[in-house]
Amino acid sequence: MGKEKIDIKLIVVLTLIMIISALVLSFVYQATTPLIKEHAAQAKKEAILDVLPGAVKYEKLEKGGLELYQGLDKSGSPVGVAFQHEGNGFQGTIILMIGMDIENQKLLKVKILDQLDTPGLGARMAEQEFKGQFQGKSFSDNFVAKEDVDAIAGATISSQAVSDILKDAIATVEQAYSGGE
Amino acid sequence: MGVSNVLTLWKDFVKGLWKENPVFVMLLGMCPTLAVTNTATNGLAMGLATSFVLLGSGIVNSLVKKLIPDEVRIPSFIVIIATFVTIVDYSAKAYVPAIAESLKLFIPLIVVNCLILGRSESFASKQPVHRTIADALGMGIGFTWALTFLGIIREVIGFGTVFRGTSLAIQVMGDWFQPWLIMVLPAGAFLTLGTVLGVINYFKSRAVGVKVELQDSTGDSCHSI
Repeated sequence: MGKEKIDIKLIVVLTLIMIISALVLSFVYQATTPLIKEHAAQAKKEAILDVLPGAVKYEKLEKGGLELYQGLDKSGSPVGVAFQHEGNGFQGTIILMIGMDIENQKLLKVKILDQLDTPGLGARMAEQEFKGQFQGKSFSDNFVAKEDVDAIAGATISSQAVSDILKDAIATVEQAYSGGE
Repeated sequence: MGVSNVLTLWKDFVKGLWKENPVFVMLLGMCPTLAVTNTATNGLAMGLATSFVLLGSGIVNSLVKKLIPDEVRIPSFIVIIATFVTIVDYSAKAYVPAIAESLKLFIPLIVVNCLILGRSESFASKQPVHRTIADALGMGIGFTWALTFLGIIREVIGFGTVFRGTSLAIQVMGDWFQPWLIMVLPAGAFLTLGTVLGVINYFKSRAVGVKVELQDSTGDSCHSI
């Protein structure tokens, strides 16, 4: 059995490398997490104002258990409601910030907060050419890629994923509004 | 530093650019090469991100090479590379969020890039740090230009543009041009890479007239074509 004896040095070295690696990573994680969260919060704030054209500030709004953001223009009158919603994309979770005009039953603007789809294909959802088509889209539309939604060439799944998230978001918000009254 | 040392460093650097180009000659790092060269911008970004990790992990692996027994060299290198990539990922997200945002899709592809492990294994594990740096820079630049070159070909035929989505964007093809969607899809990657390799090898074999045996700088044969 002597030949099968494993050199103890191998185990020690590999274990040490793992421990050092784990220590370094947990240190880096601790040091960077607060900053990363701060950036995410900042990005969210900017996204809320971005999807509500005309809004200069916003206030949080609780409705039917949902967290909504009511945008206000310079004179303080409401310009629409922003809602963050997510769903599965082609490779990872897609997180959207959606501006809605509840009164006129239409979308104002959509912004992609996070997505992991293929660069050059699904990732093109963040381009104005694709996301711009949802501007002013009616709540009652079907949201089916290649029908009422122009799909990104070569990325039908990503295009449908975004449409599904939007459709779901509309249903969720509408339900919150009708249930809240 | 003597003249011969400088010459060695220069050779270590230059070989990655063409003679031992990681993409066109050694065929290393094929996953990112095929996956993200659908536009010139993506190719360039992937190349630069990989170069950075190649340099960092090369230095670390060259420094610790004497401490690691041969039998566990590859697992050790993989852990070191993965740790390095994760550190880069978190630091970029915390300190340069704009860059992290544009690179986040490439980071998972860098970890599994065999170019980095390949250079650690065949070069950094045998050579001193300064030669490793020269090698990593050369390989990095070679990888970057190769990916950008493939990206330009695919983007011109697939979209009719170059560097679309950036301030450098140029419309190459006129309105008459019907973009070939297939060039942007994975199949286009195989078509482009295969054609480019074919052209390169044709001219090479004409120039040499014999079978080419590829060797890396340490004298070990990688593989032959």
